[in-house]
Amino acid sequence: MQTAWGWLPAIYLFLGGLGAGALLIAAVFEFYGKRYQYEFCPTTLVGATVPGPLLILGTILLILDLGAGRREPWRIFYMYTNFSSVMTWGVWLLSLFIPVALIYGFLEILDTFPAARPWLKSRRWLRWTAFLWNLPLRRTKRVFAGVGSVLAVGVATYTGILLSVVGPAIPFWSTRVLPFIPIPMMPVLFLVSALSTGLGLTVDLAATLAIGPMEQRVKSLPWIHMAFIGLETLLLGMLLITALLDGGSAAQSAREIIVGTYAVVFWVFIVLPGFIFPFVIHAYAAGLGRHSPVSGVGSGMGIVISGLFLRYLILISGIPAAL
Amino acid sequence: MSVSISRRRFLGLTAVAGIAAALGLPLLKKEASSAEERPKARYALIIDTTKCTGCGACIEACRLRNKLPEGVSYIRRIVKGNASNPWFLMVQCQHCANPPCATVCPTRATYRREDGVVLIDERLCVGCRYCMQACPYQARIFDEKRGVADKCWLCLPWVLGGGLPACVEACVPGARIFGRADDPQSEVAQLIASGRAKPLHPEFGTEPSILFYILQEE
Repeated sequence: MQTAWGWLPAIYLFLGGLGAGALLIAAVFEFYGKRYQYEFCPTTLVGATVPGPLLILGTILLILDLGAGRREPWRIFYMYTNFSSVMTWGVWLLSLFIPVALIYGFLEILDTFPAARPWLKSRRWLRWTAFLWNLPLRRTKRVFAGVGSVLAVGVATYTGILLSVVGPAIPFWSTRVLPFIPIPMMPVLFLVSALSTGLGLTVDLAATLAIGPMEQRVKSLPWIHMAFIGLETLLLGMLLITALLDGGSAAQSAREIIVGTYAVVFWVFIVLPGFIFPFVIHAYAAGLGRHSPVSGVGSGMGIVISGLFLRYLILISGIPAAL
Repeated sequence: MSVSISRRRFLGLTAVAGIAAALGLPLLKKEASSAEERPKARYALIIDTTKCTGCGACIEACRLRNKLPEGVSYIRRIVKGNASNPWFLMVQCQHCANPPCATVCPTRATYRREDGVVLIDERLCVGCRYCMQACPYQARIFDEKRGVADKCWLCLPWVLGGGLPACVEACVPGARIFGRADDPQSEVAQLIASGRAKPLHPEFGTEPSILFYILQEE
């Protein structure tokens, strides 16, 4: 296994995906009008406000994992310079995504809680934010949701590209979608997992906790979830099968995941909470037409936790090519 | 100004981002594919695995010259063959002409000199360890004390002064041959020209330019 990157980068990759996914769900609700169907929309509120802080936390973890860059933080600015490095792309994406997400979240709070505006006006030290609350609120919000979505796709995807370009060194990370399709799997898997964890956070967790019977509002929710779980199962299956067919270190990684050293992480911390458990809950809800608060929160937690362990598993199961 | 975004436009924008990311991938590979433009390496270091006994004198000499802590070296020993007939593959930085460590380094701390030697500018390194992941020879180590990546630098100051890398000087069975690759009369140039000394795992596409191996027949 590779030992250079452990839990900290894994948590960062997860937070990046979760934040990007949550913002994308909020933007979908915004552009498809779901946001305005009811007076209060917890999904959009959480999806807009949480990504900024999540990505700030992720960036702090990234910096903590650095060597010299942690002790001499000005060195971090050098990381903007090499455009052939996917990590440089990531630094740029983060630098753009975080402020856009923070402003989007701020505008969403202003829109959801009109009382926030007079409160802001009454604080002298917050007056500088006037340029934001004096703009046409919903139009400005839509611009930030749109720009944020584009950046979110970038944030969710680049983490996969980051791993897939180290091709010959760690063959498992550059496994293709299928043996004959020259598209790396990791960016695709990470994007789908980002959306899925974003959905788990903003809908299952946030909406259930805030309003309870969320399935009354989004009737197709169980089906959307089952579709996502199905798609992720398919992608993970394709990843493992392609890796096994590739042979060498990639196949070794796949074997360690399915039956070897990482089998517990895979089956107990990823497949069970993120696939089997939410699938059963949503299949049950689809038949019954409703959720209980416990099942909604449980499914959301399971999906989010499984997303974290997925990033960790992909990182630690990277076995260097044999020499 | 009109600032509203329609739902079609939103979908279009996200699709554009996805496509841009997909297009970026081949671009990355393209950048590193112009082999003719790269200057040829001035030096060559050939390791004859048929002579190497795996004694590890090179590993220790490297550690001492570079003042590395106990048990740490720029050279790694890999045991090959089978239990009854083992042989040894000593691996260090191959000084690639197409170094993936330099491609992925976000700060440009890793670079290749005109004479082919790949170096790390420690003042630029942030210690993200991406280069360690990208090196298919796993030739990089991490200097925990200074928080930077580290690796074989071909004992450059000694070599520039007319001396030898520590590993070559220390090699007991004389399995390491060092010389000028740009002098066609030199032993190393002839071994490489004859095809006896080959780069390690050319299929990685990294084009090792200084380290070559005379490999044990298997």
